[in-house]
Amino acid sequence: MKKILIVEDEKILADLLAKKLKEESYDISLAHDGQEGFRKIREEKPDLILLDIIMPKMGGFEVLEEMQKTPEVKNIPVIVISNSGQPVEISRALELGVKDYLIKTQFDPDEVVNKVKRQIG
Amino acid sequence: MKGENGKKEANLESTLKELDRIAKMLTRRDFELTQIREGREAELKELKQKAKDLEETREVLLNILEDAETSRTLAVEEKNRTLAIINNLTDGLMVFDKNNNLSFVNPGIEEILGIKKEEIEGKNIEELKQQTLLSAIIDLIFPKNRFKRIERVEFPFGETTTFEITTVLLRGLEEAGYIVIFHDISREKIIEKLKSEFVSISAHQLRTPLSAIKWSLSLLREEKMKEEERKDLLDKVYQSNERMIRLINDLLDVTRIEEGRYLYSPKLEDIREVLKLSVKPAEDEAKIKKIKFKISLPKGSVPQVKVDKEKLGVAIQNLAENSVHYTNPGGKVAISVEYHKDKKEILLKFKDTGIGIPKKQQERVFSRFFRGENVMRMATEGSGLGLFIAKNIIEAHKGRIWFESTEGKGSTFYFAIPTF
Repeated sequence: MKKILIVEDEKILADLLAKKLKEESYDISLAHDGQEGFRKIREEKPDLILLDIIMPKMGGFEVLEEMQKTPEVKNIPVIVISNSGQPVEISRALELGVKDYLIKTQFDPDEVVNKVKRQIG
Repeated sequence: MKGENGKKEANLESTLKELDRIAKMLTRRDFELTQIREGREAELKELKQKAKDLEETREVLLNILEDAETSRTLAVEEKNRTLAIINNLTDGLMVFDKNNNLSFVNPGIEEILGIKKEEIEGKNIEELKQQTLLSAIIDLIFPKNRFKRIERVEFPFGETTTFEITTVLLRGLEEAGYIVIFHDISREKIIEKLKSEFVSISAHQLRTPLSAIKWSLSLLREEKMKEEERKDLLDKVYQSNERMIRLINDLLDVTRIEEGRYLYSPKLEDIREVLKLSVKPAEDEAKIKKIKFKISLPKGSVPQVKVDKEKLGVAIQNLAENSVHYTNPGGKVAISVEYHKDKKEILLKFKDTGIGIPKKQQERVFSRFFRGENVMRMATEGSGLGLFIAKNIIEAHKGRIWFESTEGKGSTFYFAIPTF
């Protein structure tokens, strides 16, 4: 089973994402802020990361920057979950190597599944 | 003897004739003299009149001179008054003559630019453009060396300052020069920025519950699922909706507080009654979360307080709900009321065994949108405005609000209201 780490500070959203992905037979792990997220990335080495941008303690961009500096995790595919969908935010994420992005208020659960499948099958 | 008589008669006649002639001459002379005399009198009268006219004219001239002197004095006073106003303006004022020379700067400009007027007064714009501080300003006012009429153009200056610049053409009988006014709007800019950040944060906060509702509804619409899963999703929708309602209400309260429209109608109340009603929502939630919830009231009577029951109720509800929200299941929340006779106040305590507030964040606890960094593990429904609102309410009642907290151990919030 492929393993997905969801790094999202709003519990209700993390739960909804987890619920949908579990149904698609993915193994799910959760982190509630960037710090915990980065720790779990190093420890669990998931197959895919769903990463929120705005989080306390350490934000999504910081996590991406730290990942780039850490050889054993820098190639794990990341799909960013953006709150605002601002072009500036998205282009910065793409520059930091994310594979795809989702906009919270615009997407639906099917889109999530499709984008995940496109990265790890 | 006829002959002698005849000679005598002839002499007499000639004498008579002579007398007559003389008399006529005298009469004529007299007439002439009278004429001369009258003429002289007329001249004298004319002269007197002329003298009188001259005197009047002299008086008129004296009046005119006096008026002129008064006008001059008034003008000098006016000028001094105007100069005093100009020198005391906080706005900066520059005056250029029609040859593009800087003829006058007021102290306001010296203050704004941090420059002494001797350094720039009298100089032509060509020279002024050489100075780093002024070149951008000169370019704005005299693009291509020609004066430009501008109205309230924003001009950032340094890190924290923004000016509004307006230029005016001075016109007399011909083009006399130009005035440039510098008006400091740094404070307005800060307020604008804070307002827009407030709107931004508020909108951001709404996005989360909106997303949660959208996803939940998506799942509910498309999938067949077990009853308990459905129920769980509907719960999430309900919770998110409640959260949005709460947020909007809090935002409106904050706006009203800041605009001074948060009206209070204080009446004499028994604080215990107010408390019992206001803590109900928190009590209910505590039951669901399996948190022990205890209320301690003083035995015997307690003096009344003059409070706005509704608003104070909001403050109590916010504090009680915070205690429950930030405490894990299995924890404890204890609310108590005490009457302190010596201080003539009623003290309310909200004590929890929750996650506490990290020390370095404690000074921001009552500011808008504050949420502790350690908070994110919980499904918090707070808007981050509850304590800000509570503080405003307590202080409007001339009360005090404060807290003690240790991260990982819990927090105790206190507020005191003076008794009537």
